[in-house]
Amino acid sequence: MSGRVLLEAAGLTCRFGGLLAVDGLDFSLASGELAGLIGPNGAGKTTCFNLFTGRVRPTAGQVSFAERPILGLRPSRINQMGLARTFQNIRLFDELSVLENVLVGFHGRLQASFLSAILRLPGYRAEEERMFARAAELLELVGLERLADERAGSLAYGQQRLLEIARALATGPRLLLLDEPAAGMNPQETAHLADLVRRLRDRMGLTILLIEHDMRFVMNLCERLTVLDQGRVIAQGAPREVQQDPAVIRAYLGPGEPVRPGQGAGDA
Amino acid sequence: MSRRWYEAGPLPAAHTTRRRDTRLTILASLAAAGGLWLLQAFAGGYVVHMTCVAALFAVLAVSYNLINGVAGQFSLEPNAFVACGAYVTALLTLSPAEKAASFILEPIIWPLSVISIPLLPALLIAGLLTALMGFLMGFPVFRVRGDYLAIVTLGFGEVIRVVANNAQAVTNGPLGLKGIPHLTDLWWTGGLLALTLFIIVRLVNSSYGRALKAVREDEVAAEAMGINAFWHKMLAFTTSAFFEGVAGGLLAHLITTISPSLFTFFLTFNLLIIIVVGGLGSNTGAFLAALLFTYGGEWLRVVEEPLNLFGLHIPGIPGMRMVFFSLILVAVMIFMRQGLLGRREFSWRWLWAVLDQRRP
Amino acid sequence: MDGAQLTQQIINGLTLGCLYGLIAIGYTLVYGILRLINFAHGDVLMVGCYMAWFGAVQFGLPWWAALMGSMLLTALLGVLIDQGAYRPLRRAPRISALITAIGVSFFLENLGLVVFGGRPKAFLRPEVFNHIYQWGSVRVLSLSVWTPIITGLILAGLLIIIYRTRLGMAMRALSRDLVTVRLMGIDTNRVVAATFAIGSALAAAGGVLWAMKYPQINPLMGVLPGLKAFVAAVLGGIGNVAGAMIGGLLLGLAEILLVAWLPELAGYRDALAFVLLIGILLFKPTGIIGEELPE
Ligand SMILES: Nc1ncnc2c1ncn2[C@@H]1O[C@H](COP(=O)(O)OP(=O)(O)O)[C@@H](O)[C@H]1O
Ligand SMILES: [Mg+2]
Repeated sequence: MSGRVLLEAAGLTCRFGGLLAVDGLDFSLASGELAGLIGPNGAGKTTCFNLFTGRVRPTAGQVSFAERPILGLRPSRINQMGLARTFQNIRLFDELSVLENVLVGFHGRLQASFLSAILRLPGYRAEEERMFARAAELLELVGLERLADERAGSLAYGQQRLLEIARALATGPRLLLLDEPAAGMNPQETAHLADLVRRLRDRMGLTILLIEHDMRFVMNLCERLTVLDQGRVIAQGAPREVQQDPAVIRAYLGPGEPVRPGQGAGDA
Repeated sequence: MSRRWYEAGPLPAAHTTRRRDTRLTILASLAAAGGLWLLQAFAGGYVVHMTCVAALFAVLAVSYNLINGVAGQFSLEPNAFVACGAYVTALLTLSPAEKAASFILEPIIWPLSVISIPLLPALLIAGLLTALMGFLMGFPVFRVRGDYLAIVTLGFGEVIRVVANNAQAVTNGPLGLKGIPHLTDLWWTGGLLALTLFIIVRLVNSSYGRALKAVREDEVAAEAMGINAFWHKMLAFTTSAFFEGVAGGLLAHLITTISPSLFTFFLTFNLLIIIVVGGLGSNTGAFLAALLFTYGGEWLRVVEEPLNLFGLHIPGIPGMRMVFFSLILVAVMIFMRQGLLGRREFSWRWLWAVLDQRRP
Repeated sequence: MDGAQLTQQIINGLTLGCLYGLIAIGYTLVYGILRLINFAHGDVLMVGCYMAWFGAVQFGLPWWAALMGSMLLTALLGVLIDQGAYRPLRRAPRISALITAIGVSFFLENLGLVVFGGRPKAFLRPEVFNHIYQWGSVRVLSLSVWTPIITGLILAGLLIIIYRTRLGMAMRALSRDLVTVRLMGIDTNRVVAATFAIGSALAAAGGVLWAMKYPQINPLMGVLPGLKAFVAAVLGGIGNVAGAMIGGLLLGLAEILLVAWLPELAGYRDALAFVLLIGILLFKPTGIIGEELPE
């Protein structure tokens, strides 16, 4: 399944004032993997995503994507190279419609110039046709096609998370980073999401890295887990192995607590 | 894959009515042109002048709204752009003799002293130079956001005014430029307004417009979705500079005398009221509020002029209009933050729906 | 330029800088707490000057009584503006508050034009400030010597309020974290009101000294000092009282020395503040003693 290395971080360190949010992280992700990044609250998971996508500059270390260094590039540039993400605290364009949110995702790869867009030249028109068609497909894929004209801000929580995924997919990524995609979803929605994520990998050939607190979701879905605590990797491997790892149990439950495997950990 | 839902679906029907909408737009433009012709032929000079002013304010408001309302970058520089456009155009069209006569303190520099070209190329050059100025300004300006952006752009306006006051050999300093040919008429202003609306409305409704709105809504998310926020802000800023420059040029040829005191923050303040009252982000709102402001402001002059009411003499209070306008701005912010239209826009589809409901 | 001239210019620069600093503190205090650029600050200063003018000329008060009265009334005006115009917008987007502040600024200016008339009024210097001190070939107006002294006294009073009183403690806490302070049961609204009162009183003091320097007042006189003092506040790192004073002094010195060294650029003096501002934002957006600029 796994091919060449797609994303690689070496010695990645990020300090916020006195706080070491990420501490010398070495991490790599192979093309085609479906991996999970877990850890207690405040472990530095979201910060990792921010570092990978150029939102936060690291204090030290290197990140490369598809064997090209991406450190210091603008987030938009990194996205255009094929690395898309969703946000833990949903960041949709609230005042725009659901459809427009997805259409925005295509803009970064638009070929037609500004003038061509204003004059509605054939090149732009063709691209826009394609954009609309693809947006329709993506909305259908995540199951929001009936809500295309709703204000994005008016959607229910779970639907907003799905829309964020559709928007990220519109940017044409090779690697998709999902930050707590199931948070706030009911069991039914979570099941639908798991299904969707699997399809994205299996049918569309995406590489996926996800952060999630819902342990059942992660255990069933991911092939490999990386556990972060206080900015460091404390365990890595297949879900079952990681689950038994004493260091992981300590990190989640604190020292001396009884061990209850398979139970959801962390916050909701 | 199935595309049926949006082709036959209830709302994103903009596609299916495009041809009808284009026809209606052309019809409306022809009607507006007919209206201009009637005004030109039958209305008095004062009405014509006010209509020219209203059209120029509409151009300024719609362009200003592009950066402030659509792209969400609250800035305060239109007076700088209008000044730049006005000076450049006037310096290009004034005759050498006129220039030699008005530059009394210091002679005008060569080659401006000998240049005199027709209005159209002068306006184009002014628009492009103003756009270039906006482009260069954008580099420091878009390093900051929010209130800082507002203050830096305001600062640019002040710098331009100081330069206009001091660069004697180019701008004639505080004396300004006189005897600018009165070339601006209803066709020029109406034409510029049509062009501005055409381009800016199309820009806002294109993929680029969606990107600008995305930057307004959430810059971090927009960047993460592959939109280079900086260049898109620059795009909006430069476009708005171009149109504000051209409008400044026409303004100079409407009022025929310009001086630095004409382009203070006061001008920006008026435009700010217009776009806030119209609803930040709405082109329709900016357009309507500009008309309302120009004609309504004229009407409000009564409070400033002495009045004889049944033998009772009420002295006029000069300056009262501006007191009134500032109160409106504050009141709109406190009680009606969305302005008249919020972010709603006029569309033929909307008009069609309204008419449909009325039909028995 | 010889030593005497240089000394003289430096004294002039410091005097001007003190005024910028006094005004800048008002911006910085309010910004620190509300994250609002109180655009109307310069116009509050203008009103303060007219208050002092009425006190001194119409009612024949001695200068210090006129100054005190003006500071008091102006403080009241500051509180009124905050409660009337800004308070309803505490939870609104920040830009709404900024637009409102611009509206208030224009309101004060135009009301000033309507009420006081556009013609400048002479603002006579009291005798103490109106004679020339001479040391060797250095000649200085006594006002220029008194200004830093008065500024120092006011600053000392301010620092005592900020660091030695409960109010000051609340202000400092508030400038760190509005929500927590609210949770702690402090009446945030009163602290904000007090901040506006203090900032406005300082603006009145700065304004009266300014008016004596020139010596005339008009309804638009607050615009430029207001804008420049804001730049001074950013220069020093906005939100920081000491920074505002240092920024003010630097700006004052820079303006005076620019004119002294390059007299042919004298006309561009009013643009200097903004050129500095653009420079800071390009190269050191945090100011001299600043923290991160807020997003
Ligand atoms: N921009 C920031 N500034 C300061 N501290 C931050 C910032 N982002 C994250 N942190 C801190 O870094 C730590 C890790 O945060 P985060 O990556 O969000 O954790 P997780 O996603 O694992 O819950 C937390 O203590 C958080 O408070
Ligand atoms: Mg997180």
